[in-house]
Amino acid sequence: MAGRERTYKCLNPVGNQEAVDLHPLAPRLKSIDGKTIHLSICGEADIWVPLEKQLKRDYPNVNWTTKKRYHIVPWELSDEERKTTDAVILGVCW
Amino acid sequence: MPYLSDLEKSGIPTVLVVFNEETEKLKHDSRIFGVPGLRFVVASRNSPGGVDEADKLVQPLLDALTRPLTKEETKTGRWAPKQPRVLFEGTLEEAEEFYNQTEQIPRLLGAPFSVFTDGLPVVIPIEERVERMLKGTRHKAEEVIALQRDVKTRARGAFASVEVAPVRKKGEIVEFMPMYRTATVEQVAVNAVMAGCKPEYFPVVLAMAESGGGTGDGRGGGGAFVVSGPIYKEIGMNVTNFIFGPGNPVNKTLGRVGSLMWRNLGGYEETITTITTLGNAVTNGGLMFAEYAEGLPPGWLGLNEELGFKKDESVLMTLPMMGAWGMGQQHAPGVYRSLQRTGHGAMARFLGVKGIVGPHNYLEYLIKDIWATMEGGFTLVMPPQIARDLYDYGFKTKQSIYEWIWKQSFEPVSRFKMRGAQDFITNGWLAIEKTSGKPWRELADDYMVPAGGDDPFDDYNIIVINMEETAPARFGGGHGLGFSIDAWR
Repeated sequence: MAGRERTYKCLNPVGNQEAVDLHPLAPRLKSIDGKTIHLSICGEADIWVPLEKQLKRDYPNVNWTTKKRYHIVPWELSDEERKTTDAVILGVCW
Repeated sequence: MPYLSDLEKSGIPTVLVVFNEETEKLKHDSRIFGVPGLRFVVASRNSPGGVDEADKLVQPLLDALTRPLTKEETKTGRWAPKQPRVLFEGTLEEAEEFYNQTEQIPRLLGAPFSVFTDGLPVVIPIEERVERMLKGTRHKAEEVIALQRDVKTRARGAFASVEVAPVRKKGEIVEFMPMYRTATVEQVAVNAVMAGCKPEYFPVVLAMAESGGGTGDGRGGGGAFVVSGPIYKEIGMNVTNFIFGPGNPVNKTLGRVGSLMWRNLGGYEETITTITTLGNAVTNGGLMFAEYAEGLPPGWLGLNEELGFKKDESVLMTLPMMGAWGMGQQHAPGVYRSLQRTGHGAMARFLGVKGIVGPHNYLEYLIKDIWATMEGGFTLVMPPQIARDLYDYGFKTKQSIYEWIWKQSFEPVSRFKMRGAQDFITNGWLAIEKTSGKPWRELADDYMVPAGGDDPFDDYNIIVINMEETAPARFGGGHGLGFSIDAWR
């Protein structure tokens, strides 16, 4: 039992987390009218089928753009597309 | 997540639709990618009507894009968590209590979750034990785990048709998922001590770490691994009967260390840093075994040579996409022997060779209907006698078997369309089908495509072990990536 009273330095098994600079959110839109909002749809279609329809039906003044992919990682906007995109809604559904 | 963070940083407001159990992970990942306040809207997995659910989401989604930012959401700063080298000082008894502590995770309904372990007690990583472990390698304690040679990755399964597999370069720092952490040789040694490994096993552990430590994309579960090459004998891995059972401390502790690296190096914390489903009963507790290359028929390559290494090199292979266990038709070992030795029994009747002495193509029996309810390839672990019978039947290389099995999996597109994962695998039928070079949606219903994976080598594997009984093990998988163990000696 004497050995168990000795104190030991015990090492850390946890890995190293790289430091991260934290950024604020982008400024929000004042209104969606006349804006280009991109729907980034990835994964199974699931509720995106009615959701896309409803957004386009109820907000015809928005220029809706869409990219769809079944993979969980979305197709990204190109640099050119980013220049003309005002906001992005992304959804992964399984 | 990195995509959304990048959009926000470039001034484009975003909102993400997530499911309820994903919210904690979202908050967590948004900090890792530098925009901690990413906005999200929660959808239900279980609401019965998609239209009603969509109705509920429309306003919150638009609100997230237009509601002015709060003060909290405009903050900047730096997140720089530091880990002390010495985590605890005290008696062994106190240390046991500390390292075996648990936490409460709300979504686990109060079930305790281990903070530093896989749920089992661990060997306490006192400094002296870690120093002894470090004697198992010439690499320095402070060296950061990095690739020891170029690694040509392979896009697999669901990703094969839509992703380009990159070549990762020698020297690339290894990131442990889900938290994209890095680790030093010493930190790997701490986990090896905790798992119960001995210093002579340490090069294998370091090769495991180089492969990502069983952390995968964050849902790795600790991984599954095979060793090929002479080190199996040097360190005493069991390559014989009960190879997947308890009793051998080498296989057992090496398998276990993957779970610890996932928890500690990767930062796995269920429903907080990653979301899994049910886990895998086969790899729970670790899966590590070794090949018995001495049992290979002439001309059949060992795993090390199949993966581009030399015959005398010790290599670790990651078992990819470890899936179902026990695939294919079941049989008693004696039924197999009856087929080959006397042409009697169930298999002989099945193959129509009653009374005819072997060799017969046992694989025809084994794979009957194997793709009826699953897709992709599999791994066969077999004793030398079955390998020899296949060789005598006419399979002079392993590759010839991979190709033969793969060809049996072809079926019409019309049948393939009814499989459960194909919308995903074919990216909604927009991706290119490999055998034709055409988009999936342009293929005629009677065009034949493989249900058994994209590539005979990638999707199939034969591993010979040492056993006289004529029973194989079969499980999902194929060829994974190889990592030199010798590079870590």
